[in-house]
Amino acid sequence: MSAPAVRSGQALPVGRRRRRRAPARPRAPLPRPAVARIALLVAGAGLGATTALTFTAETAGQLRAPGGLATFAGSLTGMIGTYLALMMVLLISRIPLIERMLGQDGLVRWHRRLAPWPISLLVAHAVFTTVGAAQAARNGLGRQVGVMLTQFPDVLIATIGLAIMCLIGVISLRAIRSRLSREAWWLVHLYLYLALALSFAHVIVLGPSFVGHPLTRAVWSLVWAATAGLVLVYRFGLPVARSLRHRLVVTEVRPEGPGVVSVICAGRHLDKLPVDGGQFMFWRFLTPGKWWQAHPFSLSALPRPPYMRLTVKAVGAYSASLAHLRPGTRVMVEGPYGAFTRNAQVRPRALLVAAGIGVTALRSLLEDLPRNCAPVILLRASRRADLVLGQEVFELVRGRGGRLHALVGDREQARIDERSLRQLVPDLEHRDVFVCGPEGFVAGFVDLVKRLGVPDEAIHHEAFAL
Amino acid sequence: MMKRAPWYLVVGAVAGFAGVLALHSRATPAPSALGAAGKNEQPSPPVPPARSSTGPAPGGSPSGRPSQPAGAGDGTHSATGALERYGYGELAVRVTVSRNRITDVTVPALQTADPTSRQISDQAIPVLRLEVLAADSASINGVSGATFTSEAYATSVQAALDKLHLR
Repeated sequence: MSAPAVRSGQALPVGRRRRRRAPARPRAPLPRPAVARIALLVAGAGLGATTALTFTAETAGQLRAPGGLATFAGSLTGMIGTYLALMMVLLISRIPLIERMLGQDGLVRWHRRLAPWPISLLVAHAVFTTVGAAQAARNGLGRQVGVMLTQFPDVLIATIGLAIMCLIGVISLRAIRSRLSREAWWLVHLYLYLALALSFAHVIVLGPSFVGHPLTRAVWSLVWAATAGLVLVYRFGLPVARSLRHRLVVTEVRPEGPGVVSVICAGRHLDKLPVDGGQFMFWRFLTPGKWWQAHPFSLSALPRPPYMRLTVKAVGAYSASLAHLRPGTRVMVEGPYGAFTRNAQVRPRALLVAAGIGVTALRSLLEDLPRNCAPVILLRASRRADLVLGQEVFELVRGRGGRLHALVGDREQARIDERSLRQLVPDLEHRDVFVCGPEGFVAGFVDLVKRLGVPDEAIHHEAFAL
Repeated sequence: MMKRAPWYLVVGAVAGFAGVLALHSRATPAPSALGAAGKNEQPSPPVPPARSSTGPAPGGSPSGRPSQPAGAGDGTHSATGALERYGYGELAVRVTVSRNRITDVTVPALQTADPTSRQISDQAIPVLRLEVLAADSASINGVSGATFTSEAYATSVQAALDKLHLR
């Protein structure tokens, strides 16, 4: 969460640069550190309160009764699991505050780290609750399952919801995820909202913390309704409003290198779009085969009203098909998102590193960084032809008195290790490090600069999950 | 900031946990005092809307006849205890007293959250009734396996007795 730190970095020549630039471009607003802290406190408080509610609904007598312990474990896992599911929804609801705090990269990491918990807790909830009810009613487990599904209110649809969640968990396992197309995986993911909606009723009607507690019930319902509202506004309403306002249309598709094209779009009021270099947007091209899917691509340059540009490498069927976009195709956008921007800067100088198509985000970030940041750029590519946008980056570097190093070749030929990086960037510890590229490369490079003593707050990265 | 994020979460969690417990402990005296207060003079408390499993409970008035009106001439009096909530449902007990002895106990209001709880309560309530009649008071052992139903039952019986100014 390096974004808020910039406020305390008074050494930055931010103000000076703003004044020099003629028309002030709107920037994505930064969350204040205090707001981020309050958000974290509230998230924690919710977890604590949810857990406490489970305890207050329980008496010693209930615990001692047959099945009492299992039933209690069922409530506890159910409540915490549901709360974590709510947090997951909030994390990916595209609330600007959260986007700016974590960045895409951080969001994905938190999402992956958190995701197994709600699913396994809710599975445990189903098992514990069934066992507890079976013990209490002195039923066999098999019979109890039938009783719960057929006679308990809302339990059947909640079970369907849980099954959907488990399915999503399974297809997100690395081994299976890599065999699915991104579109299929994403479509199934959407059903999670359905799963949560299906499970809502049984919580309210059967949950020991809610039965006979109208206030708790009301607060819980309100929190969920508010979350649903936020999702609707930020994942649906705002993108639609922005798309209608800017009316983007493809004007040109320009080849940049082997399998790489730039898509240039024209739109209205692009000078009013708050965007920082290094950010990305979800792009939805309205053609018969593509209108239903939105994919994230970095802006490869700051908007130049009425134009803006994305640069795409063909890595899958979808990205390959973008080379055949027709001029005139209408475009809807979501975003811009991402914390890989100049706001992350905590030092006056910068090292920018990109591997492969990661150069797109680097290119627009470089354009946006203060001109006196004495940039050092490392571009990593396996072939010279793959150094797309190289010329543009070179011109930007030259205008800023920086250096550009192109490391071309396979991993052995163009190794970046502690020694070579020291030689290329002797003043590494006085620079911000911005890294962008495939996940493996980014992780490796971050490790490397950490070993060389660059502190966490000066390391900023954006990894492309392909 | 990022490094301290877990601390903020933990501090928030502890505060949230403590906050709910504090609110709860301040709110709890109400139900326990409910039995003693006995302000509600209505013969049978209104049953809140239920999704399932409502209806008169077994045990007590076998033919489903209404319990005797309070203050019948021969020294027979009836009163209904407060509606007691327990984890899986709620119940109220109506106690009939004749010449200072408990002569009948019925459950005019029973609602449970789910069929299993209903089943458990249905098994326990006839036993609890016999226990109260035998003990001639609300001091009963309760039915194991239906502890919370037993506790609610006993509390409601005591509330009814308080209303009748007995014991």
